[in-house]
Amino acid sequence: MSDLAITSLLILTLFAFLGAGVWIGLTLSGVAWIGMQLFASRPAGDAMAVTIWGSSSSWTLTALPLFVWMGEILFRTRLSQDMFRGLAPWMNALPGRLLHTNIIGCAIFAAVSGSSAATCATIGKMTLPELAKRGYPDNIVIGTLAGAGTLGLLIPPSIIMIVYGVSAEVSIAQLFIAGVFPGMMLAALFMGYVIVWALLNPDKVPPADRKTTFLEKLSESRSLIPVVLLIVAVLGSIYAGIATATEAAAVGVVGSLVLSAVQGSLTWQTFRDALLGATRLYCMIALILAGAAFLTLSMGYIGLPRHLAEWIASLGLSQFGLLVALAIFFIILGCFLDGISMVVLTMGVLLPTVQKAGIDLIWFGIFVVLVVEMAQITPPVGFNLFVLQGMTGRQLPYIARVTIPMFLLMVVAVGLIWVFPDIVTWLPRQMRATP
Amino acid sequence: MRRLLDGLYDGAAWLAALMLVGLLVMVLLSIAGRQLHFHLPGTDAYAGYLMAGAGFLALAHTLKRGEHIRVTLLLQALTGRWRRAMELASLSIAVLLSGAFAFYAVKLSWQSRMFNDISTSNDATPLWIPQIGMAIGAVLLTVALIDEWVMAATGRQTARTDDGEALHNE
Repeated sequence: MSDLAITSLLILTLFAFLGAGVWIGLTLSGVAWIGMQLFASRPAGDAMAVTIWGSSSSWTLTALPLFVWMGEILFRTRLSQDMFRGLAPWMNALPGRLLHTNIIGCAIFAAVSGSSAATCATIGKMTLPELAKRGYPDNIVIGTLAGAGTLGLLIPPSIIMIVYGVSAEVSIAQLFIAGVFPGMMLAALFMGYVIVWALLNPDKVPPADRKTTFLEKLSESRSLIPVVLLIVAVLGSIYAGIATATEAAAVGVVGSLVLSAVQGSLTWQTFRDALLGATRLYCMIALILAGAAFLTLSMGYIGLPRHLAEWIASLGLSQFGLLVALAIFFIILGCFLDGISMVVLTMGVLLPTVQKAGIDLIWFGIFVVLVVEMAQITPPVGFNLFVLQGMTGRQLPYIARVTIPMFLLMVVAVGLIWVFPDIVTWLPRQMRATP
Repeated sequence: MRRLLDGLYDGAAWLAALMLVGLLVMVLLSIAGRQLHFHLPGTDAYAGYLMAGAGFLALAHTLKRGEHIRVTLLLQALTGRWRRAMELASLSIAVLLSGAFAFYAVKLSWQSRMFNDISTSNDATPLWIPQIGMAIGAVLLTVALIDEWVMAATGRQTARTDDGEALHNE
């Protein structure tokens, strides 16, 4: 059978299974099974069990369940209240005032959380009611929150970066560090947008809260100290090369437990909920990863990734053209799939193409994360939109519409890292230089 | 029967949760070992085994809580008889795939035992022990899917599929 026939058959099966509502992890292993049966002489079943076992027990992945757990613990603390209290007094001076608590709050929380839906939910829990109470317009509050929530993926730790790092076999620690500047840049873009918006619509910004003195502001900011310490412990230890991503995650879990105990929100109830919540979440991801591991093996037998790379190379596409095509492809795929499924599904096939085009894999990781983030806020499947729908009671199309400006800013961000790749690669290079 | 099954799923999930705690302990031990200059061989490998156990043993429970991701766009667009037919079709495919995985996972663990497969890294664990976690988890997932299939066929409530609270992952 020709390549084209094989590819069409597998893609057809993939979409038929997915569309029928077969769980994603099982769908991937089903497609892999068919591929193996038709095109490999090796018995499919035994290969499946060995491959899935190998990938699910591999040490590099252990950072993932730990970061998931850390996020679940922090979600159940009073962290969001503390952050709002600590940030609000400083933001009153900026045009757009407390809208910035959405963005900076998300950026800070993203530095201890690996997921954008969790970031969105944790920060929104506090800012949505507080901002509504003060009379900030709903559309910009919800829009900035949906956009800034995606920082959870870009600013390390990041679950999707771990998944990418494992599939692409690049250092997770370096990916994490590479995400720092792009994350800050994106946050700055969002804030810039809020400032411009506020200057254009001064009548829509409610008056500032009561004036506070500098010392009062500083004293309110005390509540930020625990989270800053946690960030330093987790990211600092990775950057300094003291800890691997897994070790930093373990430190993060212990740190979050301490933080939650100090705040008085650590009870048997919250501990149990966080632990079981983390177990289920990790299990959900593990099923997808298991299916993807088998699919990658099967693809290797068929030779699809190699052929695709050769085919795309023969098109003579420029790097830029290839990246634009991939970005569009990911955003369309993101209409049906979640970020992790997208990354594991495509990396097994796309990596040779990317390597052949001479694109740096660390840079490409950040590019993929940014594009996945965009997919995260586009309907019909956009997890941040779902989270916000649950929290605000608004309809999906409304939320999607108010998020469009943030989506465009992300396009700008992708353009910026393309023109200035150093935004991504400079910091990890510094890290490599340290012994 | 209902209580027995639910007990099985939840019991396995608790075991999985314990393994997650175990994973944390392993990583902390290896950090402590490096700082305090003692050496515990194999902590990395054990961490991997515990992670695998945590992932597989919770499969059934997670399915029952409706937290495994699936695409429900089409399902939600259908109603009545068509929806049930589609639900049964996807569950049947899932039972087949999960059943095949369970069969080969059990076989792998069995063969590791027969051939005395030992881990190649410095923990030297007989591999069938950690692999049993995968086998049990896969079997339980298949049981839970059959359970869902029967419930869907007899028109009872299946695992809820909500997209809100569960999705802290992305």
